[in-house]
Amino acid sequence: MWFVRFLSSSIGKKLIMATTGLLLLLFLCTHVAGNATIYMSSEVFQGYADELHSHPLIVIVFSTIFLLIFLAHIGMGLFLFYQNWQVSKSRYSVTTRVVKNTFSSETMPYTGLIILTFLIVHIFSFTFSSSEVPISVTVKELLSGFFYGLFYIVSFIALAFHLNHGFWSMLQTFGLNHPRYNDAISKLTLILPLFFLILFAGIPLYFMTGLGASY
Amino acid sequence: MSSINLTLKIWRQHNSDALGNLETYDLDNVHTDMSFLEMLDILNEKLTKEGKEPVAFDHDCREGICGMCGAVIDGVAHGPEKEVTLCQLHMRNFSKGDTIVIEPFRSRAFPVKKDLLVDRSALDRIIQSGGYVSVNTGGTPDGNSLPIPSSNAELAMDAAACIGCGACVASCPNGAAMLFTSAKISQLALLPQGHAERQQRALSMVAQMDEEGFGNCTNAKECEAVCPKGISIRNIARLNKEYLFAALTEG
Ligand code: HEM
Ligand code: SF4
Ligand code: FES
Repeated sequence: MWFVRFLSSSIGKKLIMATTGLLLLLFLCTHVAGNATIYMSSEVFQGYADELHSHPLIVIVFSTIFLLIFLAHIGMGLFLFYQNWQVSKSRYSVTTRVVKNTFSSETMPYTGLIILTFLIVHIFSFTFSSSEVPISVTVKELLSGFFYGLFYIVSFIALAFHLNHGFWSMLQTFGLNHPRYNDAISKLTLILPLFFLILFAGIPLYFMTGLGASY
Repeated sequence: MSSINLTLKIWRQHNSDALGNLETYDLDNVHTDMSFLEMLDILNEKLTKEGKEPVAFDHDCREGICGMCGAVIDGVAHGPEKEVTLCQLHMRNFSKGDTIVIEPFRSRAFPVKKDLLVDRSALDRIIQSGGYVSVNTGGTPDGNSLPIPSSNAELAMDAAACIGCGACVASCPNGAAMLFTSAKISQLALLPQGHAERQQRALSMVAQMDEEGFGNCTNAKECEAVCPKGISIRNIARLNKEYLFAALTEG
């Protein structure tokens, strides 16, 4: 079948990574918007959470779609990593990378796995937390903890590196590489990860530093 | 003209089935005006006189246009100078007392035949699978009878500069042949003559590329950095688009 042939080709697999990556990015946008209400007050945040969960069907459908996208992205990412490792293991006695600043691109599978670990911890702490305690209270309690907060910050740094290469790579995979847009794209490869880093990692910092004392 | 003395560590392998290893050779009085291949010629003369087996390496034009030469020099395909082939790399890029590690271009799809000589016919098979125009369009058309935007003509010409040396594959962390294939697809996709078979070409060439055992591109950009002809990864973006469009319409 053409569809299977397409998706199992090398470029098809890249397109799966890029498409699921884009959808995950869109998810991050909605998630960061909701979480930013924490900076306003615990009432606003609790209101947002209650409103969201008063429509359980929306939550379930969205979570399922998100889970499937995530599994596709992770599964394909690790599969590509394995395939490429097989091609490239022990090739040269001297290997020199000519391109500078390859940290983000070389660490994609590792930053990805940090995000995955984070996600598991995150879901178990918040999604499956006790329904007795309001979520706004759980958030403050957990994120004020030094190690828990630090883990969050490290994970968001990993996400920033992942997106630093991922955003550009995604556009290249979609075929968007044109001198007219390349300047803007290279700026966005910094702005976009920083945007998520500041908003997301700001939340544990907000509580850890005591700025959120009156939250 | 000055001379330098060098220590060379060269990959020696008797044939495809043999296990190879790096051998060390000292070479004195290497003129800095020599090309890298001339330096290897001198070494081979010396080895021959000593009754040893000379180092096998590929070469033909020795003026940077045929794509036959190539080796990985201290971890960089075609050596440290930008946009030159190994035959055009001069010994003035090295200093007295340097140790130079010389290895063959490696990829799962490039079996080593002997020493630095590798079989790159996988690239030829990618071309054979669709990198041509099979419609006979008659004699040379009159000038301007087929209007082509000059920007497209320039981009097609840039892509056509690829000499098929395989340095992109050798330098790619994943051993992918995307830069080569994208150049061969772009030079035709950008011109009206290439349009008739555009979709079929993208499908067949990518299928052949995968079948040969090249790796998957992860957009690491190493290929572009070592390509002796300055082929841009913009061609890879174009290949991705060509392939997506072809798969959706004719796959
Ligand atoms: C919210 C979380 C995530 C987002 C927004 C995200 C986003 C992206 C994007 C945009 C790309 C570029 C796609 C391309 O190269 O065309 C990418 C690539 C990649 N992602 Fe993620 N990702 C996330 C989580 C993960 C996780 C959990 C893993 C687990 C292993 C992972 C592994 C990878 C790998 C290995 C690549 C590189 C694939 C390649 O270069 O061929 N990602 N990601
Ligand atoms: S794209 Fe460049 S490096 Fe690759 S085969 Fe062509 S000329 Fe050589
Ligand atoms: S020998 Fe022809 S390009 Fe080097």
